Amino acid sequence: MRKYILTRILKSILSIFAVVSIIIVMLFTMIDRTKIFENDPVLKKQKGDARTTYIYKKYDELGYMDYQRKVDLCKGVYDDASDYNACLVNGSEKQQEALGVWERKGYTVEYLKSGDPLVYHDYSALELLGHFYSQLIVVDSKNAIQDEANPDLERRYYTGKNPANGTPAILCSGCQYKYQLYFNGSFPFIHQNKITFNFGNSYPSNPGIPTAQVINEGQGAIKSYEQTFDTGLTESSALIQTSCQYKPTLDKLDSKRFSDHYASCLSAHESPSMVGTSYLMGIISLIIAYAFGIPAAIDMAQHKDKFRDKLGIAYINLLVALPSMAFIFFMRSIGTKLGLPDKFPQLGFGDIRSWIMPTVILALLSTPSLMMWLRRYMIDQSNADYVKFARAKGLSEKEIFRHHILRNAIIPIVNGIPSSIILCISGALITESAFAVPGMGKMLPNAINQLNNNMVITLTFIFTALSILAVLIGDLLMVAVDPRISLTAKGGE
Amino acid sequence: MSTLQDDRFTFQRAEDTASEHIAAPRYSYWKSVFRKFFSSKLAIAMLILAGTIILLSIFQPMISGYSPRITPNINRPEMKYIRPNSTYWFGTDDKGNSLFDAVWAGTRSSLIVAFAATAISTIVGVAVGMWWGFSKKVDVIMIEVYNVIANIPTLLIAMILVYAIGSGMGSLIFALSVTSWIGTAYFIRVQVMIIRDREYNLASRCLGTPTWKIITHNVLPYLISVIMTIISRDVPGFISYEVFLSMVGVGLNRDIPSLGQMIRDYSPYLISTPYLFWIPVAVSAVISVSLYIVGQTLADASDPRTHMV
Repeated sequence: MRKYILTRILKSILSIFAVVSIIIVMLFTMIDRTKIFENDPVLKKQKGDARTTYIYKKYDELGYMDYQRKVDLCKGVYDDASDYNACLVNGSEKQQEALGVWERKGYTVEYLKSGDPLVYHDYSALELLGHFYSQLIVVDSKNAIQDEANPDLERRYYTGKNPANGTPAILCSGCQYKYQLYFNGSFPFIHQNKITFNFGNSYPSNPGIPTAQVINEGQGAIKSYEQTFDTGLTESSALIQTSCQYKPTLDKLDSKRFSDHYASCLSAHESPSMVGTSYLMGIISLIIAYAFGIPAAIDMAQHKDKFRDKLGIAYINLLVALPSMAFIFFMRSIGTKLGLPDKFPQLGFGDIRSWIMPTVILALLSTPSLMMWLRRYMIDQSNADYVKFARAKGLSEKEIFRHHILRNAIIPIVNGIPSSIILCISGALITESAFAVPGMGKMLPNAINQLNNNMVITLTFIFTALSILAVLIGDLLMVAVDPRISLTAKGGE
Repeated sequence: MSTLQDDRFTFQRAEDTASEHIAAPRYSYWKSVFRKFFSSKLAIAMLILAGTIILLSIFQPMISGYSPRITPNINRPEMKYIRPNSTYWFGTDDKGNSLFDAVWAGTRSSLIVAFAATAISTIVGVAVGMWWGFSKKVDVIMIEVYNVIANIPTLLIAMILVYAIGSGMGSLIFALSVTSWIGTAYFIRVQVMIIRDREYNLASRCLGTPTWKIITHNVLPYLISVIMTIISRDVPGFISYEVFLSMVGVGLNRDIPSLGQMIRDYSPYLISTPYLFWIPVAVSAVISVSLYIVGQTLADASDPRTHMV
């Protein structure tokens, strides 16, 4: 069994990488890359050489190509200072030699209007993947920061306290992050900064901010609270101290608060992050879906071919056949009649009314398959011999259904619980778009429309990983519920 | 005990033709399918509805020649936002075009996408599924491929595919079919595995029937109702995807009329001119539901087990 789980996990990781790789290659090679500048306000203001270099710099940043300015290309070839200086003179022999070296490496040489040369090399599909995966996982260590301006930086791990709640924490000096391990009240309660994912920066929306931060950081207005800093200063501030990263140059305010260089921190916000919003909505809607779907399906199976069974089947068929969009809009207009907002941001996060309709609709969208299958399983079970026996022994119908049939019929449903999270995700894509809920689901179409490739890759990675994990957990859960099932046994030939 | 007298019996001629006579009524598969199908009044009503919509969406755009780019009344405010009346059955839109023309042109796009994607994914899915079910070598590879692909939400991949290869009718059809054929193939594989080793197929194989003939003569007819069920589920599903993808702006491009785009464009008019928004929503709902019910009834009718009187 352990071996099986191990291979399953390995296969799951492999499939995540397969999907993400295909998507990276597709996004970087198939989409016209000049299009990414369509939504960039900075480029519109620039012209001439500044424009050209800006474009190449952005391509380099976004991982399309490797680009070297004159300074960099000379530095890359010559170690010696006099050679290097000679190389900087346009048209010099040394410069021509350097360009020759780059050309042999497969780079293309181009000249700006000022006469300065530049070289670039478009990444091939394999190089694209290498580039992405080599910087995907970042492991923090006490030698991570190499700052020439700060050579005496202490390098050690030590224990301390989380300033927000006083719980113990592991801290580090010399790492990128100051707080390596800490506890707090938000899910999953134990947090670490040792291993982080780097999906690149978001562009052109939220430029310069890592995509992971865009979807993880809180939204809305900044929320200040009373806190004590390193230096003993107690003041009202929004900074989250556990998120602090190394900052090379400190300003006046920073040195008033911090005794070390860890001053680049995230801020606390009033509203939950995109991930948080989507999760909260997804989990509540899942609970509603099961709370409504399971009793409804039991009732249908108990009254097979009666009126309520037919009503239930009509409901299932209607929901399967109706375009989800039409169903959502229909429900939304009912909600508006009841005085609920038709767009989430109208009343915002704080108001419960803005959550009701999206959550209920998300729940209803996942009920038909649940009801259809549970009803099917229960009806199949109700013809089994053990049920006939129970009936012959004089057990009441209610007892047979609750204690005998349901126990057996629920097993495949247990397997489906994590998979309904997948349904929740794709349902969330539609619901969040319709209600303009600021969550991950709405972020994907937005990112696509803005040609924000890194964001698309990040979201694909998250969605794919979640789905694959959900299927795995579902299978393991099924084994836990029903000891008769073995995932490793080979059946048939 | 009385003895039987010979005079109580009469001689009868033995008739060869009478002994050959089969008392049971003649059975024709397709006749039974249609009899079963037309016994449902709801299905007939939905068939008429779906037929009308399909015919309207084929011929109406030919007559009107509607295109979102042609806006002759754009500068005539008196032509805009006319409520549905006897001249303009569905009213006019924000550009002064008849919504009736726009809706049927949009329906046509949705139906083309849905039918083409269903056709491709069903044909490829059934063909691969058959092969998958019969060949153990293929099974070993395909089950791994399936495990990789099946766990990812279709909508997500379709969305990214359309984004990568450009938005148009061809790429939308490609994106939808490329993500859904493997689900169909897996479903068919399971069905094939169930009936592949039944006695009548074993007998066929013993008699030396080639696998190809077993597939086409023994297995495929058995799967008609299953395939019909898949089709009746896929068509509304694809209509739903098309509407959603066009609505969020990653489906069909602006030159192609589409119900999804209309829903997106007119959702701000929900309060002022609600008919602009609700008519495309209602049309998309009506085609999906009618096609689904027709498909489901046909799937039930094509299962020979329902033909027993």
